[in-house]
Amino acid sequence: MNRWLLDHRQALGDAMKRTQDRMTQFVVLIVLLGVLLAIPGWLAQIWLGMSALVPQSAVQSESLVFLQDPLELEARIDLERTLTNRDDVESVIFVAKSVALTELSEADGLARIAELVADNPLPDALRVRFQLTSLAKDEADLMASLQADPRIMSLRYYPSTRVQYAALVKTLGWLGLGLSFLTISGVLMTVFLVSVADVVDDRRRIELYTLLGASRRFILRPYLYRATLLGLLAGALACLVILALNTVLFAVIVTNVESLDVRLETAPMDGRILLSVAVIAILASWIGAERAVNRRLNVLH
Amino acid sequence: MIEFEAVSKVYTGGRQALSGVNFRLAPGEMAFLTGHSGAGKSTLLRLLLGLEKASTGAVRVAGTNLAELSGEKLAKYRRRVGVVFQDPNLEDDLTVFDNVALPLRIAGFAEADIPKRVNAALSRVDLSSQALLSPRVLSGGQQQRVGIARAIVHRPALLVADEPTGNLDPELSARVMRMFTQFQQLGVTILVATHERAVVESLPFRRLVIERGQLISDGLGSN
Repeated sequence: MNRWLLDHRQALGDAMKRTQDRMTQFVVLIVLLGVLLAIPGWLAQIWLGMSALVPQSAVQSESLVFLQDPLELEARIDLERTLTNRDDVESVIFVAKSVALTELSEADGLARIAELVADNPLPDALRVRFQLTSLAKDEADLMASLQADPRIMSLRYYPSTRVQYAALVKTLGWLGLGLSFLTISGVLMTVFLVSVADVVDDRRRIELYTLLGASRRFILRPYLYRATLLGLLAGALACLVILALNTVLFAVIVTNVESLDVRLETAPMDGRILLSVAVIAILASWIGAERAVNRRLNVLH
Repeated sequence: MIEFEAVSKVYTGGRQALSGVNFRLAPGEMAFLTGHSGAGKSTLLRLLLGLEKASTGAVRVAGTNLAELSGEKLAKYRRRVGVVFQDPNLEDDLTVFDNVALPLRIAGFAEADIPKRVNAALSRVDLSSQALLSPRVLSGGQQQRVGIARAIVHRPALLVADEPTGNLDPELSARVMRMFTQFQQLGVTILVATHERAVVESLPFRRLVIERGQLISDGLGSN
């Protein structure tokens, strides 16, 4: 058999045998690392998943733009056209002051107001409805520019549920990001230290192999196989824990806040998080073992 | 075979472990390295095994200056050396057979050649019948013989032993020394570090006495 394959088969066999001989220790490590890795993963999932809490059917942002009275027709049409041409605006509806007066009278039961039609105190207005997907910043920018527009007397802005919610998500998101970062740092250090401890435990063995003439790669291989296996299983466990926690969390939310979004019933899970957790688990474990063995070997080789 | 030329070793922190050590060991020669604890025996062996580098002077084995070796070249050099420890340093996870086969597998011997060599080595130390046992079930003397079998299985030209009889009773010590004598007669160069006077004085081999890092005596044993 090819020497390279033989060496790897031997290293894999060695790693498996050492794992079997320390099965309890290995299982405890996997559970420890799996649970620790699940914490930042779940935090990240909550953070990213919060956007899914936004109702699809959220009321779109609207603005009532009261025009100067009087305002030339051409100026009004120009303003209406400008607003209609914007990507973030879904519709612009002109509400004549006579219509507004009638609607107001009917809505509020103030029939006598209708009598003011000859001397209508209300201005003409434009009802601007934003796209469902428009950004809060764009909406705020437009409001600011309209307020400075001489054709406009005043305006009212009614941000959508989504825009209001986005501000909350943003604030909580930064908090979640900070927490995730702290937890990830802690978990990485733990994974690293676990791998190092695993190698330190074998210090005498490393010295023996060195004295018997083993190359660095020969000594390193079984530890890397073992670390990879540890990282794989810990990563897989962490993913399972995240999935379970995510399902429970969203089930609770959907049960209690049904009006949010029907899509929540599917408990959306971000695949990037699972992939990141698995990769971090393997890399941290692998690098920890590699560094620890090499540090020992640097003294001996 | 072995040549120490004005070798000094100063560790980080300034502790002088060896100072101006000079000696030569011819191929096939056997010698004892004696001295009190802390005299510098272990440092000398570590230099010989390439675990340390001399601060000044040169350590040569078969003409190669060990200070010039590193990485894979140093590993290759160690594959030509047999090492026996005071504590046999056996792997409990492996059988006696696999422990003895370790140097062969590390050196990349073909799997088909390994059983023949391992059985021959075990036969030399009278442990053929224990090949499939775990070292855990062996006595201290048997474990030491497994360590010796592992040191000679790849037929090294140089055998280095560090207190090989330190944990053995006098009878077993004598047996181990007889084995070393046999290997020497086969042409293996052997350096045995020991502080046991009885062992040294029982055999007519050269004796290097080291004290406070200096070689103070180099001559044949009294027997």
